[in-house]
Amino acid sequence: MTTKANFPVAAGSIVVPYGHVVGNEKWRGSEIAQRLQGKIRLIFEDDLGLVDFHISNRICILYISEADLVAGDEFKRRLVRFRNASSLGGIVIVEKTQISDQYFLAVQKLVVLELGMVLLPVANQREASQLITQLVREQSKDHNSNPFLRKQRSQLAEPAVFRTVQQIPGVGKTKALLLLQQFGSIHRLCNASVEELELVVGQTAAQQIYTFLCS
Amino acid sequence: PSSHPMFSKEPPSLCVLVDSREISSGAEVISSLKAVHAVKVQVCSLSSSDYIVSNRMAVERMFLSELLNSTNRTKVTQRIQHLQSMFERTCVVVETDRIKPGETSRFFQRTQYYDSMLSAFVQAGVRILFSSCQEETASLLKDLALVEQRKNAAIRVPVEVEGHKQEMLNFYLSIPNLSYPAALNMCHYFDSVKKMANSSPIDIATAAQVSPQKAEEIYRYLHCGFDMQMLPENLCAKGKSGAAARS
Repeated sequence: MTTKANFPVAAGSIVVPYGHVVGNEKWRGSEIAQRLQGKIRLIFEDDLGLVDFHISNRICILYISEADLVAGDEFKRRLVRFRNASSLGGIVIVEKTQISDQYFLAVQKLVVLELGMVLLPVANQREASQLITQLVREQSKDHNSNPFLRKQRSQLAEPAVFRTVQQIPGVGKTKALLLLQQFGSIHRLCNASVEELELVVGQTAAQQIYTFLCS
Repeated sequence: PSSHPMFSKEPPSLCVLVDSREISSGAEVISSLKAVHAVKVQVCSLSSSDYIVSNRMAVERMFLSELLNSTNRTKVTQRIQHLQSMFERTCVVVETDRIKPGETSRFFQRTQYYDSMLSAFVQAGVRILFSSCQEETASLLKDLALVEQRKNAAIRVPVEVEGHKQEMLNFYLSIPNLSYPAALNMCHYFDSVKKMANSSPIDIATAAQVSPQKAEEIYRYLHCGFDMQMLPENLCAKGKSGAAARS
């Protein structure tokens, strides 16, 4: 898939209808296209430049075949051109086979660590079509169904505060509770004088706590 | 072995924090980091992630087999969510399972579940790297630490602490969602816990090398009023009777 495009990405923004994929015309009739049919709605367009598939208005896929990897550095130029020209999120799908395996680490380093893009290996076009299907489904899902995007419920602070105060040497559960009842917050506890502490936990502990907090 | 802390202004060698559990499950990752890549490896009880490569990035090492079916779903999601609550950046290294003696090769049957997990990671901005063995994982960790150093996020403070500093570190580590490097940074920046407690959110952000939002969260935690009624019974059972006896 090394056809040279005169422009890196489509002029103007590509609008991808919900649940659809916009594929580069050059993929028409390919195994990926055939396998995607029936699972997601695939529309072909000319003029997508370096991009192989747009899976949303903001995310697109660049495909690197085994042949691209074996052929040399052309694919690298293509990735760099894309990265420099486009603000779209790029997912690079790369064919990692017995033959192309030797290039994988270098490609991963370039794509993920240097270009800051996503790299996902597949063994062949069949696997690629399955992966693209899931990527599209994830796009069209509600955010709450992704466990890594879900807003985490805020925890009660009390148990944590109670634990934090017990990290002060010499302070166990009993003293921690007394201190918190008296001073009300970690901030206020940290600003207590030795005399104030003595009234709550006695002289020895007060000195120990004061030393820990203030030195 | 006790090595002397490095106080030089220049970032010394790369530093990676390793969770103590990895000593058994990732022995070759650790030895390779040290011997091949000359990375300073500090083993500590991280409890959250397997590796920390900078002030803001945690790395979780996972076996490919853990992502192939939903058997480990809860464990995997909880681990990643936990990291996300503490670190600005989370990275997963997917390592190919080792071939056990007697097996000629491992047949990797790609599943829909695997693709959906990868998709969920991508969508949530969790970085993914692939590795075929522990040595490769070590090399990836070094590369990540190097990129983070270039972006000015390297861990620059001494990672070994003792005595009073160790006690302060434990205190800071008990702050919810505060990462190990952030606690370490606070330890070295603030002369005392009191100074930390009296700092503004901006000071905390600078000291701990965390985002302004995270600093705000820490600030609120230090100032939040403690309501005895909100403490679960099982936590304070002993304490309550003690408190009652005194009053």
